[in-house]
Amino acid sequence: MKTLRVKFKKGNELKYISHLDLMRLFQRAFRRANIPVKYSEGYNPHPKFSFATALAVGVSSDGEYMDVELIKDINPDVFIDRMNEILPEGIKILKAKYTKSKKSLMALLRWSTYVIELNFKSITKDKMQSIIDDILSKEEILITKTKKKRKKVITREVNIRPNIKDISILILKENKAIIKTTLRTGSAGNLKPEVLVEQIKNKENIELIDDETKIQRLDLFIEKNGEIVTPV
Amino acid sequence: MINEEILDKILKKVEKPGRYIGREQNSVIKDLNDIDTRFAFAFPDIYDVGMSHLGLHILYNLLNKEKGIYCERVFAPWVDFEDELRKNNIPLFSLETKSPIKDFDFIGFTLQYEMSYTNILNMLDLGDIAIRSKDRKEKDPFVIAGGPCVYNPETLSEIVDIFVIGESEELILEIMKIHKEWKKENKYKVDFLERISKLQGVYIPSFYEVTYKEDGTIKERIPKKESYPKVIKKRIIKNLDDTYYPEKLIIPYVEIVHDRIMLEIFRGCTRGCRFCQAGMIYRPVRERSVESLLELSKKLVDATGHEEISLSSLSTSDYSRLDELVTKLIDEFKEKRIGLALPSLRLDSFSLEIIEKIQKIRKTGLTFAPEAGSQRLRDVINKGIEEENLIDSVKNAFELGWSTVKLYFMIGLPTETKEDVYGIKDLSYKVKEVFFKLPREKRKGNLRVTSSASCFVPKPFTPFQWHPQDTIDEFKEKQNLLKDIIKDRKVNFNTHDARLSFLEGVFARGDRKVCEVLIKAWEKGCKFDGWSNIFDYEKWKQTFDELDIDPSFYANRKRDYDEILPWDFISVGVTKKYLIKENEKALKGELTKDCREGCTGCGINTKFTGGVC
Repeated sequence: MKTLRVKFKKGNELKYISHLDLMRLFQRAFRRANIPVKYSEGYNPHPKFSFATALAVGVSSDGEYMDVELIKDINPDVFIDRMNEILPEGIKILKAKYTKSKKSLMALLRWSTYVIELNFKSITKDKMQSIIDDILSKEEILITKTKKKRKKVITREVNIRPNIKDISILILKENKAIIKTTLRTGSAGNLKPEVLVEQIKNKENIELIDDETKIQRLDLFIEKNGEIVTPV
Repeated sequence: MINEEILDKILKKVEKPGRYIGREQNSVIKDLNDIDTRFAFAFPDIYDVGMSHLGLHILYNLLNKEKGIYCERVFAPWVDFEDELRKNNIPLFSLETKSPIKDFDFIGFTLQYEMSYTNILNMLDLGDIAIRSKDRKEKDPFVIAGGPCVYNPETLSEIVDIFVIGESEELILEIMKIHKEWKKENKYKVDFLERISKLQGVYIPSFYEVTYKEDGTIKERIPKKESYPKVIKKRIIKNLDDTYYPEKLIIPYVEIVHDRIMLEIFRGCTRGCRFCQAGMIYRPVRERSVESLLELSKKLVDATGHEEISLSSLSTSDYSRLDELVTKLIDEFKEKRIGLALPSLRLDSFSLEIIEKIQKIRKTGLTFAPEAGSQRLRDVINKGIEEENLIDSVKNAFELGWSTVKLYFMIGLPTETKEDVYGIKDLSYKVKEVFFKLPREKRKGNLRVTSSASCFVPKPFTPFQWHPQDTIDEFKEKQNLLKDIIKDRKVNFNTHDARLSFLEGVFARGDRKVCEVLIKAWEKGCKFDGWSNIFDYEKWKQTFDELDIDPSFYANRKRDYDEILPWDFISVGVTKKYLIKENEKALKGELTKDCREGCTGCGINTKFTGGVC
């Protein structure tokens, strides 16, 4: 069995299509591009490929990954060319490489980096920096998570601080702050960027213009022989 | 163009924003500078429903193949998106260029279902276009409509400027050509309407006046000018293989209701079921050849990558070379793991063989449509199914490994008695017994019989067009009767909302007077009436009361043969004489043969096809 590990981007144009939509898009794209994808058995055969992680609707990304199982060898460059020829504007294959990894991408995944554009009624660089410092200086940031189990609503407190690796300001101009952050992603712990935005929004004496927030994922990182690297 | 930045903010707040972004592959982008005529194809329901409609894809591609025409799409926004549009003062816009629909030359609605009419008004209003035809200005777009419901166009006569009756593949281009000439001449809208009113299939409601008798029925239809045609003949396409069929279909991003390639194998139906409007209005039967269907399917698969092809027609089993077509399609697409769906099959033994072939790739439930519970009533409606056939087919299907069966029935058919209603239970239970009579080792899976009974709505141009529809109370009584007696873990029973079917009945056979009802109901907030979570019957009831219009006059009244019906001025080819004869035969329980076994004299071949069917 051959598995191609593929990096692709989901641009601004298509940030509003969901995870499931994207799966369907690739299913059709493989067929149109004549990629020898392996199919599952059974009455409803579907092509075998899996994403590293889901991307929330409304978030674009320069670094998404998937593993694609093939039944025939195909040159990774040919794969990239054939796919990009038929993919819609907004989705582009960036890299592809055969992998021997036994573990799924999802299991290997550790961190994501994001760029977040925040618009405030009013903000200064010092104020923004103090908000970030405040978050990073804490040992514990508790949020309440609710889960519905049958009819019961279960709430529990979760410390999200370990899931935040870094936050830095890239640009601050005219009440617009563009920050970069690295957050925990994957089965061993996960923090959505929206939760971090919520933390910032809840700080005192600032007013975030909610519907102007833009989030973009830059890349994903896995752990390989104890090192943190990109998957391809 | 609407403000994309504001749109971006709104999209974050709504459910399934992918419905509103456009940009799908195979959608058409043109430079507006090269365009003479802009056409907005408007579907009065959400994207997920509208994109599943084959007619949209045909007309969209047909129009866009012309250099000077640009056809774009617009759908009814779901309520959350509508709220945001109104709050932010964004007019309803097209998906392709994000232009307000007011900027178009035409807004073309397809009328698939009477209970989507309020959405038409809502979409016009969201586009900042006056609801009533007479209130629209010279610079406003023409509102044009086609589809099966235009066979009774009168209920929308105040709203729509132009109706296109019949198959519009040729007609729409003739209209576009005249529009281009007219636009250059800088004349009034009425000049354009006068010119196209001479084309076969075009109906301009504002060119006619209707007077009424004291009892509320129609007295006379008067053309306002001598030159306006008294009878409007539907349009048909003579040879299907020669007509346009798209070789590309837009690939939607969001999941739509029928997410597959739709391949139209033929039009029309020869069976002559007496309740069925499609069976009458789409005559005669015209098939596409196996060769051209294969060719088309290959192109469509290449262009879309879809995982399923669905053969589309009114009665798939009646395609003359079905076995050959299915075998060839399976051979062609097995490798690519493309499934084949055959809806509208009559489940005789022949069809089961074909289904078995297909199901080697994908297995789904089976659907049978006996329509009525008793043999007597099935004869009344000319549904040539004998109980024996049905039981045999079901047995056959169970032996082949199926265990999920759906049965479709109607309640409220003409002459229906309590015994006929009980028949629905009896037949459902018999199907169950067939399963358990099989030796245990032959049964596969868990039996599930789902019987559903919809409420019969008499439709124009059917032999039952004169019959009173059951009242809401009568429907409810029958539904409750069945709910009380169908008590079995293996048999599910479903019904439809009788109030909705009643309104459908009013608009299906309404006249110009119910147009006011529609407008007022919409003003009260009615929209998406076909969606049970939004449907608000109380508002409709209030509307009828306030306008002092009795809905039962349209739905529940028995009409005489000599009454002038609102749709009588349309000629569909099938004659009124034939419909009367069929109705009389129905009342006596006499069958009419399938017209492939010999002409039954409906009239289509004398008026439209020059002798051939």
